[in-house]
Amino acid sequence: MVDLADQKKESIEPWLFRVAATMTFMTFPLIWVGGLVTTYDAGMAVPDWPNTFGYNLLLYPISTWIAGPFDLFVEHGHRLLGIVVGMLAIALVAVAHFRERRAWMKLWTWFILAAVIGQGVLGGVRVLMDERTFAMIHGCTGPLFFALAMGTTVMMTRWWQFADSNLGIDKRLLLWSSLLLVAAICQLVIGAQLRHIQVWFRPVTFTFFVHLHLTFAVILTILILAVGWLSGSPAVASSKVVVRVSQILIALLGIQITLGIATWIFNYALPWQELNRWLAIYRIDARGWRESLVITGHQAMGSLIIGCATILVCTVFRLKRVRL
Amino acid sequence: MLFGLLLFVGCGRRTNSFLENELHIVRMERESGGSLEGVREEIQACLQDWFGTPDDPRWPEQASELWNLEIEKLKLASGPVGRREDGIERGLYRKHCAVCHGLAGDGVGPTAGLLSPYPRDFRRGTFKFKSTPIGVKPTREDLKRTLLEGIPGTSMPSFASLARTKHFEDDIDVLVEYVVYLSIRGEVERRLITAAALEWDFVEGRFYDPLLKEGTEAYTRQQDRLTKELRWVAQSWSQAEKSVQVAPESNLEFSENSKTWNLDMKSVERGRELFRSQLTGCSSCHGPEGLGNGTSKDFDEWTKDWTIRAGIDPDRPEEWKPLRKLGALKPVRNSPRNLQLGAFRGGSKPEDIFHRIAYGIDGSSMPAVLRASTYPDGLNDDQIWDLVQFILSLSQIESRIQ
Repeated sequence: MVDLADQKKESIEPWLFRVAATMTFMTFPLIWVGGLVTTYDAGMAVPDWPNTFGYNLLLYPISTWIAGPFDLFVEHGHRLLGIVVGMLAIALVAVAHFRERRAWMKLWTWFILAAVIGQGVLGGVRVLMDERTFAMIHGCTGPLFFALAMGTTVMMTRWWQFADSNLGIDKRLLLWSSLLLVAAICQLVIGAQLRHIQVWFRPVTFTFFVHLHLTFAVILTILILAVGWLSGSPAVASSKVVVRVSQILIALLGIQITLGIATWIFNYALPWQELNRWLAIYRIDARGWRESLVITGHQAMGSLIIGCATILVCTVFRLKRVRL
Repeated sequence: MLFGLLLFVGCGRRTNSFLENELHIVRMERESGGSLEGVREEIQACLQDWFGTPDDPRWPEQASELWNLEIEKLKLASGPVGRREDGIERGLYRKHCAVCHGLAGDGVGPTAGLLSPYPRDFRRGTFKFKSTPIGVKPTREDLKRTLLEGIPGTSMPSFASLARTKHFEDDIDVLVEYVVYLSIRGEVERRLITAAALEWDFVEGRFYDPLLKEGTEAYTRQQDRLTKELRWVAQSWSQAEKSVQVAPESNLEFSENSKTWNLDMKSVERGRELFRSQLTGCSSCHGPEGLGNGTSKDFDEWTKDWTIRAGIDPDRPEEWKPLRKLGALKPVRNSPRNLQLGAFRGGSKPEDIFHRIAYGIDGSSMPAVLRASTYPDGLNDDQIWDLVQFILSLSQIESRIQ
């Protein structure tokens, strides 16, 4: 005889997870290309929205897109990827409507769809108003959507619905991982000020944001190491997800610090260039591939840290509470 | 916090006009002992009539016969970043330069405070790396070369990738034109401020009155007074091409395998003696071993402009700190190059180094050497080549010198 729990497990719709995971997976390249838009200052490469130079977005000639200027290529590509993620969000709503048994999750998928549409409209407003402030807000809300998608994917897993919530996880882990998520989002906002810098800023403003960015880098380092340390406790060790995500966060932190230093050097050079020969002879290649990839990678890695922190918070939250 | 920051950065948009050169106003007020409050707006109105705004640049007719800028290029470089409806790119200066050099080319862009050296303030009309002697403006080709090659060891990037990329090949020429425009506008502003402070008699009426009728005596007087400054600056740019100095071609060869020059040891030795001699004085700044550790501790020329020349002691923070809100950056001292690193900002070829020695570096403490053609004790070309060989040898491994 099959027991009730097994019956429920069998009723889980695998397509919900698959669609959510695909949406999350596709959001990451969307963030990368969005980062390239900022790196190449290509936000206004297409002066109209939702059309592209008068064409329907989906009907813009592919030859003109591929062979056109790089800023147009990046911006139009960003819009097309946005369409892909939007379609996946619609698919998620549809699958959830027919196959999801949790009523709140059905509503949640509508929220995800609204978030995608909102993000697209925000990008459109940036273009129609030719306003960098909206570009900066759009650049902040993009990674936040990525975090939402990550969290949604976690909540669609079989594990989320049937995990044992009596592991006795250290209470401090929920607090510290939540602080980590908040700090990572703050760092994202501060980084966005530096990336979308306005030409009329006084040097003191930029300097303030650089120092704030460095301060939050220290705070994040402490928080990630603290979470890593707490996840090593015997009670948590039984949750492989928490341990693995903490380890990934530590690895990402190392990569991110390296990318951050490289980003500064590739953007502005170090002020102590005569420290060694390499720095003294290093010549920044404006819009060079190496420079652009590192600078954009630093931004994308920040989004990944937010995404991992979201998984961690969701996981710890789930382990401490009765399933939703 | 998030929303606070977003609101904070969204306010105070100021791109419709160029910022005033307030530091020069302070300097001139201190020098003349009077206030320029009454003419500041008039100077800005005059400049706007002549040069337009950051979104809509103009080129004054009065300067056209002396030096002309291509208005189409200025329009492509100005305004916000993006593409027009016809697909043509605009806002190139803000895209590539303004974050460091500032909207007005004042060298006080948002990032300036954290860069070393500071971004150049174009408004003095002084440029370091050029083919013309000290005191003469650079040619368009000189500026283009700096944009293409960048300046190693500084925040000034090379835009060579841009020039090689389809659809962007002409961007460098557009940027050069706009840099010249900003420089001329800025230098004219300085001269108008100076004229208002030192020459203008306020009882004569307004410094600039746009409503004066053409043909009247007052109009002619005003035009003569103001266009004199404009024409002086335009004229100085027109002299550049005629003043180009070409360094003699070097017979040194560079080995791609060993990454060294085929130096002549005897010439290197002669160069070493000259380098340490009182005749050249090289070692007083660069140090006897070329480590940049000489005794000279002079302030940077751009710092001196608003400090020492305005009677402000750059060593006393209480004197210069109040000027930070007017765009002053922390005073900096000249830092003579450490020649052993092999980083030559004006170019690493022997001809480039010859040029720097023979003609100096404008706006820096690096003077032109005395030449035998002018002074009996001056250096001839062979001696300058000896210095070049010694300088190149400093950054090469001794064993590889032939």
